[in-house]
Amino acid sequence: MKSKLLLGLIAVTLAGTVAAQGKPEDAIKWRQSAYTTMGWNMARIKANLEGTFNKDDVVKSANVIQAIANSGMGVLFPAGTDKGTGWEATRVKPEFFTNKEGVGKVAMAFNKEANEMAKVAATGDAAAVKEQFGKLGGTCKGCHDDFKAKK
Amino acid sequence: MSTKRIRLWDLPTRVFHWLLVICIVASFVSGQLGGNLMDWHGKIGLLIVGLIVFRLVWGLIGSTYARFSQFVPTPAKLKAYLQGEWRGVGHNPLGAFSVFGLLALVGIQVATGLFANDDITFFGPLYELVSKDVSNRLTGLHKLSSNLLLVLIGLHLAAIAFYTRVKKDKLIPPMVRGWKETD
Repeated sequence: MKSKLLLGLIAVTLAGTVAAQGKPEDAIKWRQSAYTTMGWNMARIKANLEGTFNKDDVVKSANVIQAIANSGMGVLFPAGTDKGTGWEATRVKPEFFTNKEGVGKVAMAFNKEANEMAKVAATGDAAAVKEQFGKLGGTCKGCHDDFKAKK
Repeated sequence: MSTKRIRLWDLPTRVFHWLLVICIVASFVSGQLGGNLMDWHGKIGLLIVGLIVFRLVWGLIGSTYARFSQFVPTPAKLKAYLQGEWRGVGHNPLGAFSVFGLLALVGIQVATGLFANDDITFFGPLYELVSKDVSNRLTGLHKLSSNLLLVLIGLHLAAIAFYTRVKKDKLIPPMVRGWKETD
């Protein structure tokens, strides 16, 4: 009886650990979802720049991107998730897990431009939004070029 | 032995060539820098589609030396050339490979680009026609063939330097002015 209780306790503890950090599959799903959500919002800002500029929509999108940028997504890249499948097979390059300095650099650049994007969006100045949008997209590319595998 | 001047490259061929040079440089630069330049990258790509289509048509109905049938590299011509017995004018049989190779690669480059996406803000004009997965694969090909294209362009430039310096056959002036001195 005691040993059964102990086993149960261990199982619950383990499950708790898993839920906090996520199974590898979940971590990959979460990060893919986050990037996809940012993709939606980049597309929405672009649509506003090319069509009618709606300040509110641009602010919403810039805020979403800023929130995700500052959410501490690093935890979604636990060791061992250089391979694996979330919604689809992960395309992160192994270098992402070894080149900490390089990753830090592109992550910092992205955070900075995402924060700036939210500020610029709040001004409602379409020309400034367009310029900042280019800079922000450039930081996405900076990481994709080095750490995202081509198909 | 008297030399005579012939009209080697007609005006449309030369305009095509130099516009393509400008467009390819611009597309490489804009593709590498990304950001808002991706808008230009897409526009330049469409211009290149137009240029390639023109060249294919001009290869059929253009003036003598612009026609594909004039310089298509047959094994016999190639053998003669490698043995130093080819006496033709226009693209030599080896150079013809370069022409077809460059046309094909640039063709692949723009064809894949039409369906490509960069997972950021760029979606090719025909992206809607294929699945995301197919678009991703074509984007990978786009990247790969751009590297091959760089190699081929390097070879193209090296060959021009070789002919100019070693074989004393200046290839560039005829591509600028159109005239060439021949025996």
